[in-house]
Amino acid sequence: MIDDTSALPAVWTSNESASESSQASAIAGVLERDRAARDRERRVRYGSLFALVCLLPLLLWAAAHGVTPLVRGAYALMAAGAAAMVAAEWMYLDWSTQGLPGPVDARSQLQTTAFMLTRQIRLLQTAPFWTSPLFAGAILIGVWMYGARTHAGAILVWTLTAAGWIGGALRTTRTRSRLSETKLEMERLLRDLS
Amino acid sequence: MRSQDHKAQFTELMEAYAGPIRRLCAVYADSRADREDLFQDIFLAVWRSLPHFRHDATVRTWLYRVAHNVALTWRVRHRRRQSRESPLLDDMAAPSEMDLRRLALTRAIAAMSPGDRALTLLWLEGLSAVEIEDVTGVKAATVAVRLSRIRKHLQPAGEPS
Repeated sequence: MIDDTSALPAVWTSNESASESSQASAIAGVLERDRAARDRERRVRYGSLFALVCLLPLLLWAAAHGVTPLVRGAYALMAAGAAAMVAAEWMYLDWSTQGLPGPVDARSQLQTTAFMLTRQIRLLQTAPFWTSPLFAGAILIGVWMYGARTHAGAILVWTLTAAGWIGGALRTTRTRSRLSETKLEMERLLRDLS
Repeated sequence: MRSQDHKAQFTELMEAYAGPIRRLCAVYADSRADREDLFQDIFLAVWRSLPHFRHDATVRTWLYRVAHNVALTWRVRHRRRQSRESPLLDDMAAPSEMDLRRLALTRAIAAMSPGDRALTLLWLEGLSAVEIEDVTGVKAATVAVRLSRIRKHLQPAGEPS
């Protein structure tokens, strides 16, 4: 019988049934997870950097040497949009890293994570604005094609642009709603802890 | 911090605190796979934070801060995949009376609000109100009041059912 709660810590810390994985494999598992997470992060960063390095000079060159002012303006818009998208992706990743749990007290941690989530949600809310130059540029290329080349080509460009725009909007909306739910839960936790 | 020192310190910490962290995981995650996932997430955060540890807190409170932050965040992010599996029952072939008491206690803690749960776990692991303030950021006086209420609620929980 347990007559008072002072015995509860003893109950709590009594030996557990030994069915968990061994210490060595647990350590190996943690190190493997660390390596995989770093690899993933590196892939995303280098991937976007590669895209920027390859795509941006190409777009800038096209912006300088396009056949008409309309085409040059369209490529310039696309270059600005591509740069904004890469910058936004890097900021998003940075805020995700800053929001990760660390060695501060739980209240400060929850406040930091909620703050970083707010920033990420705002970034996603403004996505239509900072991605618009890319899509507007593509639409202008379609306009030029419609007048100077084939109608079918122009319609294809517009369709692909619209599909990219709608697909991106759906993805950011889904992510935003998931982040908003997480943020609400964090704030509830914070209230409960206070 | 040199890589060898980092790994040696980490191994030492894992050996010393694997038990308390597994107990914490048992409260936050229902299935064995989730417990293992959370356990590894906690020690991953410890591994990454260790080079920045400046000894401005004791190792114990520092580690509990990391562990509770990861567990709270993990719970929020995985709330949709909480299973209906009975916590820990799958691990017990022939549970002793002590096992059953611990199981009842685990269930009672798992049913608490997140704030009460964190305070209770830290109290059960032997931390003082001041240390709990250091880990959670909740004032020591508030911790004492809340723990007193929690203890009243917990009294029957340690009894075998």
